[in-house]
Amino acid sequence: MALDLFYIVIFPGFLFLGAISLVFEYIDRKLYARLQNRIGPRWYQPLADIIKLLTKETIIPKEADRRFFAAVPMVALAATTAAFLYVPIWSSRSLMPFASDLIVVLYFLTIPTLCFFLAGWFSSSLFAQIGGVRALTQLFAYEVPLYMALLAPALLAGTWSISGITAFYHQHPIYLLLNIPAFCICIISAQGKLERVPFDIPDAETEIVGGTFTEYSGRLLALFKMTLNSEMVVVAALIAAIFIPVFVQSAILNFLLFLVKVFVIVFVLALMRASFARFRIDQMISFCWKVLAPISLAQILVDIIVRGIILK
Amino acid sequence: MKVVDKLITWARCKSPWIVHFNSGACNACDIEVLCALTPRYDVERFGMVQKGSPRHADVLVCSGPVSLQQRERLVTVYEQMPEPKFVMAVGTCACSGGVFDGCYCIEGGVDQAIPVDMYVPGCPARPEAIIDGVVKLLSKLEASEDGK
Repeated sequence: MALDLFYIVIFPGFLFLGAISLVFEYIDRKLYARLQNRIGPRWYQPLADIIKLLTKETIIPKEADRRFFAAVPMVALAATTAAFLYVPIWSSRSLMPFASDLIVVLYFLTIPTLCFFLAGWFSSSLFAQIGGVRALTQLFAYEVPLYMALLAPALLAGTWSISGITAFYHQHPIYLLLNIPAFCICIISAQGKLERVPFDIPDAETEIVGGTFTEYSGRLLALFKMTLNSEMVVVAALIAAIFIPVFVQSAILNFLLFLVKVFVIVFVLALMRASFARFRIDQMISFCWKVLAPISLAQILVDIIVRGIILK
Repeated sequence: MKVVDKLITWARCKSPWIVHFNSGACNACDIEVLCALTPRYDVERFGMVQKGSPRHADVLVCSGPVSLQQRERLVTVYEQMPEPKFVMAVGTCACSGGVFDGCYCIEGGVDQAIPVDMYVPGCPARPEAIIDGVVKLLSKLEASEDGK
């Protein structure tokens, strides 16, 4: 019981995820700044932002639904933290592995997006509602390629469990090359999932003020900020576990490898953020459905054929 | 408690998020404010980030004299910001009304409508002056919190 509490609250749960997400937010912002040829924030910047927001006044608009307005950020943060418990960190197995935990992680990662929509909806503000509807529209576009691209390696490995997938690719590393298109699709749709440029349509500041978060302030905004940061770490860790399953014997080395892998993926995400401008929502949806979804379908087809013929 | 207070003051001084409001300016000061936010001046070094929503912001950067029509909006935006909040008047018109002082449609400087913490004169105020204004505002805040 005490150990479970330790897992959930301290490591690898809430506190560890919070700390590491601040580190990776700093890395992301610093890389973004360096790519724009400027110096960028100092190392404690994300921490200062969070502390400042936590100690600011929290305004709940009169029009908004008080209870849901306050509850939604907590649900979003809880869902991302729960997803992190099932991602492998210090070995090829996660903390509590079970069959088909990949699907559970994907569902947990969908909850924050739904929470963003609900946050916008319960704010009863025009900008927030537009942002919320956009978040939901975007969800239907990137979620399909993301799921198919993450499930293709699972199909090849013949298991839905993350530890099973890593074990399979540890034995047959050559099949990792087969999944390179799926990896690229994952990286692109992860940008949509994390609502970052070029898919930051739901909180496009130049169009709809702050999007879903327009009415949020103080503590509740800090919770949303932490949700977005930790979601980035969880998604990067999940992609790393499935597409770059490199593990060694020692737990400490594995942990360092985990940090390196997440860093590599965050680096690619920052590179994309720096080199693209925002798409319109219709461009984004047609891109996801007309380009990403067919490629991921083809990927699944290739994986099924390889599994059926070679791995039989 | 003292350590916590110090930490809070430190965080507030290191993370001023600004929101920009034009209360009737001729656009010159607005361009300079935008210029201060470009990579050339890199205000993210000080933790300054431009935010779209007043609900997220700590510092309201106002430019221009307050026209009678904008007064109501300015007060609304100010009231939408969560405490603690600060106001910066950028440009001569925002400080005092400038050449528009006494005009039939002008209320006066920004301090005629809402309390102002920092005045940055200039027509238009240079980006360096605006950044200096924010930094001085923060050091003023730090000093006042320490003295308390």
